[in-house]
Amino acid sequence: MQGPVIKPALAVYTGLFILFLYGPFFVLGILSFQTGPEGGPQFPIVEWSTYWYRHILGLTPPSRIAPLPIGEALVRSLVLAFMTMVVSTLLGVLSAQAFRSRFKGSGVVFYLIVLGMMVPGVLVGLGMALVANTLGIDRTWWGTAFVLHVVYTFPFAFLVMLAIFNRFDASVEEAAWSLGVSPARTFRHVTFPLIWPGVLSAMLFAFTLSYDEFSRTLFASGRELTLPLAIYGTFSVEIHPNVFAFGVLTTLFSFALLAVYAILMGLSVRRARRLAIQEDIT
Amino acid sequence: MSEGLRLDGLTKRYGGNAALQGVTLAVPDDTYISVLGPSGSGKTVLLRVIAGFEQPDAGEVRFAGERIDQMPAHRRGIGFVFQNFALFPHLSVRDNIAFGLRHRDVSPLSDSGALRAKVDAMIDLVGLGGLADRGVHQISGGQRQRVALARTLVTEPRLVLLDEPLGALDANLRSRMRAELRQIRERLGVTFLHVTGSESEALAMGDRVIVLDRGRVGQFDEPDAVYTQPASANVARFLNCYNIFAGHLDGGRFMAAGGAFVLPNARRAAPEPAYCIRQDLIDIRPSDAAMRAGETGLVARFVTSEYSGSSVQYFFEVEGGRAVEVEAHLSHRRPEDLEPKRPYTLAWHADQALVFG
Repeated sequence: MQGPVIKPALAVYTGLFILFLYGPFFVLGILSFQTGPEGGPQFPIVEWSTYWYRHILGLTPPSRIAPLPIGEALVRSLVLAFMTMVVSTLLGVLSAQAFRSRFKGSGVVFYLIVLGMMVPGVLVGLGMALVANTLGIDRTWWGTAFVLHVVYTFPFAFLVMLAIFNRFDASVEEAAWSLGVSPARTFRHVTFPLIWPGVLSAMLFAFTLSYDEFSRTLFASGRELTLPLAIYGTFSVEIHPNVFAFGVLTTLFSFALLAVYAILMGLSVRRARRLAIQEDIT
Repeated sequence: MSEGLRLDGLTKRYGGNAALQGVTLAVPDDTYISVLGPSGSGKTVLLRVIAGFEQPDAGEVRFAGERIDQMPAHRRGIGFVFQNFALFPHLSVRDNIAFGLRHRDVSPLSDSGALRAKVDAMIDLVGLGGLADRGVHQISGGQRQRVALARTLVTEPRLVLLDEPLGALDANLRSRMRAELRQIRERLGVTFLHVTGSESEALAMGDRVIVLDRGRVGQFDEPDAVYTQPASANVARFLNCYNIFAGHLDGGRFMAAGGAFVLPNARRAAPEPAYCIRQDLIDIRPSDAAMRAGETGLVARFVTSEYSGSSVQYFFEVEGGRAVEVEAHLSHRRPEDLEPKRPYTLAWHADQALVFG
């Protein structure tokens, strides 16, 4: 009864969904190949060229359009994202491990952790700036902003690891103990290899969320800008297609990151899957 | 015989429910003990407390003269074989078996030659030759069972706890593994504590059988003693081969719904009166047949029968809907042609019944 109507409707819906998802990126991608320096961020394309890509890399002759001030910001953002990823994932794994056994006040602690991703970023950022000013602490991307990034991404890593431990069969750990292996070594040689796919996901979450973070960083990072702030700063002057070219490069970078994730994930899952298939055959 | 495992007043509660209520036991070394109990009798909890995965609320666990109930699990030297095997899914058969020797706290084996020799010897002992480099998902259920056993035995524990180790296997494999488990144990001289919900498994495997009844030891005895002389009506019930009647004693008779039975000479004290007669001791006769000397019995309506090769199980119903089962071994008699809904006399020797109360 539902076949003839529902299927085309779902197809249209899916089409629209994909259009809205990728439409902006396509516009961005096309406009990034506008000619320069006189071509603007609008249609029609005057002439196809890679001028703006070369402009970003500093390969074009000097013109009235200043190069994007992103070199240092990019490095800062990558370092910050990496630091955030390591700390948040570590905290996420440890706290999720703690939640495997119900402890007193676990409900309260759970909501305290999750609060970090619920409260509006602007408020937290502003609050952090005020606290830092009151206490006389300098606001830096590697200090105040870093703390906020961890507060923000830690709950995501925590929730990912909570889901992983939820499906984890604790009897393999007990089996290791009964063989005389200490809990610490058991974690290292049994638990960790088994939760590794989840740890990878938590790392990906923490990295991308931090790399992309704007509102908290805006107030808490001080004078030295991270990448999202630097890009936003260029908007306030005049928009040139070099921002689009940069957007394309950033997106490609994200895909590269995803590819690394997929490969690592594939390596750890492939064996299990291969074995599972063989099991079906025998 | 030296003292192996000793439990004293072991108690464990979950919320308000007591899973173990003062379990006191002494298990000698180098024996095969089976632990029989229905689900909820606390048998798995008992193993987990002995292994150190759970802390008892009260009582002591002593092993080889040493008190171990406060010791962490990995220091007890007690092996554990799980029902679902709990193999390390990311390791091969060989690495699973080598895991304990390689990583244990006390005298880990780092010399790869010695490690390999031990693991190979154990692989041969449990009959896993040629499978050492397979993943644990690439082998059958019975082989996984052997890996679980080998992984535990290679660390040379003095006591191995087995939690329904055959429960995940099909019937064919189960009966083969029974014999193998006994052989392996005898060869290594360790004590096995084998938990099972199957009465036939418990009776077949144990040198002695512990029957757990709602967190207490209902009986601890040799298999034939448990089978022929259950210590209580509940133990008889778990054995699944007794007809058990509730009722009361009145003069020389036991009054139950469906009949009044002549009492045997012996009788055991119990808070709840119960009359138990083993299913294979009952004779089926036409309803007008008279009881012979020394016999007692009742009249019941035939309902249906279940044929299982060497024996037939007949189901009867007495007045009031209570079921009575009769087991007939076909090597002794031919299957009887009974007519459904017709009454028959069920007779047995009064002295063969067990009466509590």
